[in-house]
Formats: sequence, structure tokens, C-alpha cells
Amino acid sequence: MDAGLLAQHVMNGLMLGMMYSLVAVGFTLFFGVLDVIKFSHGDVLMVGAFAALAAYTALAGQALSPWLMLLAILAAAVVAMGLLGMAIAQAFVLPLRTAPALNTLLITLMLGTALREAVRLFYPQGANPKPFPALLPKASIDMGQFNLRADNAIMFAAGILSIVALQLFLKHTKLGLAIRAVAQDEETARTMGINFTMVVLITFGIGSALAAFAGVMNGLYYNEINFGMGLLLGVIGFSAAIVGGLGSIYGAILGGFLFAALQTIGAVAVPFASAYKDVFAFGVVILIMTIKPTGLIREKISERV
Amino acid sequence: MSAKLEITGVYTAYDKADVLEDVSLVAEPGRITCLLGSNGSGKTTLIRSILGLTRPRAGSIVFDGKDITRLRTHKIVKAGIACIPEGRKVFPKLTVEENLRLGAYAEASASVIRTRLESTFEQFPRLGERRQQIAGTMSGGEQAMVSIGRGLMRAPKLLLIDEPSLGLSPRFVTENFGIIRDINARGITVFLVEQNVRQTLAVAHYGYVLSKGRVVAQGPTAELAARDEVREAYFG
Repeated sequence: MDAGLLAQHVMNGLMLGMMYSLVAVGFTLFFGVLDVIKFSHGDVLMVGAFAALAAYTALAGQALSPWLMLLAILAAAVVAMGLLGMAIAQAFVLPLRTAPALNTLLITLMLGTALREAVRLFYPQGANPKPFPALLPKASIDMGQFNLRADNAIMFAAGILSIVALQLFLKHTKLGLAIRAVAQDEETARTMGINFTMVVLITFGIGSALAAFAGVMNGLYYNEINFGMGLLLGVIGFSAAIVGGLGSIYGAILGGFLFAALQTIGAVAVPFASAYKDVFAFGVVILIMTIKPTGLIREKISERV
Repeated sequence: MSAKLEITGVYTAYDKADVLEDVSLVAEPGRITCLLGSNGSGKTTLIRSILGLTRPRAGSIVFDGKDITRLRTHKIVKAGIACIPEGRKVFPKLTVEENLRLGAYAEASASVIRTRLESTFEQFPRLGERRQQIAGTMSGGEQAMVSIGRGLMRAPKLLLIDEPSLGLSPRFVTENFGIIRDINARGITVFLVEQNVRQTLAVAHYGYVLSKGRVVAQGPTAELAARDEVREAYFG
């Protein structure tokens, strides 16, 4: 294989890894504050992409520049999914706090199906794949056999930026500190005067907004979205979070890029058709989980008694 | 700055089995009130009831003239109560400074928090030297310091202290009781739960004895030490 094609594969892997990481970070945040798995996460991503598309349709009459349009539909998707995430936490996750964690997993699994079916049935022609507008500049830099596309570079940079922003928020703001405190010890955090319910709602809002961001990115990358797109992305994001070590943000990011790398290797290096890339990637994930059941990044400090 | 805590006829249950039965007690403003009792007598449950972590099913808890019985925990803390919990409960993955800042979470002003942080470091120079250390990597005694400093960061009117000497070396235990006396000297009402009877009775003004979820004896600590129930239960 020549270098240009390899670079193309690497670029593709990085884009996928960024999307997976954004989804995985959500899983890790939710698990951090509430020790629950929210299985509707991938479908929230899908609804986010459709919210962006709906905003685009609504604004299509206005003579907006592509940049403004992109910002507007991204803002619509992020805000709408942030609110949806909070609503899901309030209505389905918080009331089940005293129930076994399995119940939360089941109810959010069903909620995901409901969201998927709702988009399929109620979005105009929702059962068909929908073209997603290409709003990013189409320029590209020719580097021999490899084309560095401006839209990919911009999306990747935006993804990095959002993760850095999340880290800064968690590390350097009072609210971020409260989220980390709740993640470590909910009860003691409450006795510090932290409003636990508010912290949970905000965390679910942030995680869901990141999923919306990943959904829009997915639409821009493939120029197409469909009602079932969240299913695989949710499962992959979940696997990435688990492989990285659930509860660790860095672990989630590592897991996201690792999964994308495995898919890429599966598509390139494995002799049979690239259709087996997911089988290959999930197979390796299963293998990793067997060898390191707690995930790649382990919590280093144990509590001393 | 101190305030009175009045608990009247409190019943608290886990899974319908009452752990506290008709508990009434008062922590007078500016004084150290202690609660003695063996393991399983309901001491920690009473602290949890005051903090709203386990809601009483009957009775009332009034603090500073305000009924806090049914408030949510963060509202109770806002009313001016801080807690140094059993087992210290520092946030193990946060730094010393982050732990302390969380103690003042209910305080809105950043400059007030900074001032309190500096005065905490003055009182516990060791914490100042280690402000960036991850709390979970510290020794038990140092973590106790973090937990005490964190409780004081709230600048509370009432401080609940649950089993401060549990698991500490005798030197730290004595130091801890000295610190409790200092805290009280600043005018903070202290409600102290302990198993270490001798030193507790020496430091507190008034005491209650809890047994099987009921108050079985109370009185000024000097008297209490001489009472038969207490002697029997603790001094053998």
C-alpha cells in the first residue's frame, strides 16, 4: 500500500475516533455521577443530528452564510439535546436511583428504541436516509496522493477543542469540582452543600450535548444521516468507554480512538473484505476485556481506611 | 455565629425497622454537646437524620429557629451546618486544596473562600505544604486534618463531628480533642459523637447517652461521668 492511501486511512480513523470519543465521554460522565449506563445515548446522538437537519430546513429560506448556518444548526442540536438529556435524567434516571442499576439500563434501552421509532415515524420521510448539508468549506490541500480536506481538519480541531473545553471546565470551575466530588462520593458531596440533583442534570445535559455534537459531525462527515445511526455509534461508544476504563475521561478518549484504529486496521490489513472491520474491532475489544477486565486506564489511587 | 439545635421526638427507620425511637436532645449554642453510645446504638443514624441523608419518619429537627426536618441535604448545609464525617471521607482523588474548597461550596464569594483557605493553612501548616497533594495518598492522620479543615471551611454555626478518634493513633486522638476545644472556643456549637468516653466527657459540656436507639441518660458531663448507667456501660 502506498503512503497516500495509508494517510487517507489514518485520517478516516482519526475522524471516527473523535466521534466515538465524544460518545464514550458521555457514557463515562453518566457513570461517574450516577453509576448508571444510559443506553439511549446513541439515539440521543441521532436525534441531535435530526434536530440539526430540522433547523437547517427551517432556516433554509434565510440567506445565511454557510458558517452562520452551521453555527445555528449546531447550536440548535446541542441545546436541544442538552435539554433532552436533562429531561431523560429527571424523568427516567433519577427516579430509579434506588432500584437496581439493571432497571435503568433497561428503561433507557427502551427509551432509545422509542426515540428511534419516533424519528422513523414522525420525521417527514424519517424511514429513509436523509442527505445532510455540506456546510464546511470543500477546499483541500493536495499532498501527493493524499488530500487533506479542510472540512475534516476543521471537524477534528473542533472535536479536540470541545474535549479540552470539557477538561478545563471539570478541572477549573466550581461546578466541575462539584461533578468530580459527586463522582467520587455522592453522600459526602451532598454534605458539602452540593445540590446533587442539579449536578446530575447538568452532567446529563453536557454528555447529551456532546452526543449532539458528534451527531452533527457524523452528518457532515458522511453527508447523510438515518434514524438507525445511533445504534451502532452507541454500542461503539459504550465499548470504548468500557475498554478505556469506565469513569475515566482519558480512558474514554483512548477507547474511542483505539476502536477506530481497530476498525481501520480491520479494513486495511485483514485480508478479507472490509465488511468484517466491525467484527474484527469488537473481537479485539472482547479479547482486551478478557485480559484487562477493569479497562485500560485503572484508577490509580485507592481509598485508604 | 453559633446556633441551637433542637431534636424532638425523632423516629428514623431503615426498611421500616426503627433505628431511632423518640429521640429528643438539644445542642445549646456555643457549647460542646456529646452523644455517647456503643456501636449500633444509632449515633450515626442520628447524624444522618440531622443532615437529611436519612429522613426521620416522625419528629422534628429545628436549627437556628428553622425547621430543617424535611429539607434536602444541601439546604440544611446552607442553613449553617457542617459535618466532619465518620471515617473522614476525604475525596481521595482530589487535591488537598480541592477538598478544602468543597468544604466552602455553599459560600458564593471567591474572596471569602480564599481568605478561609489561607486561615486553614495557617492553622494546619502541613496542609499548606501539601495543598496540591492528592488526598488519597496521605496518611490517616493527615486525612483527618483535611477532613477537619474542610468542615471548618464552611465557617459553620454548628459542627457535627462523628467519631473523630476512630482509627487514629493516641497522639492524634489527643490532638483532635484539643482542636475540638479550639473550634468551640471560636463560638461554634459542636455536636460530638464519640466512643472514646473519658476524653469526650472531659471536653464536652453536656452529654447524652444513646442505647438501642433511645436516649437513656443525659446531664452535664461532670455528673454524667458519675452516673451508674454510664459507668456500667463504659467503665465496667
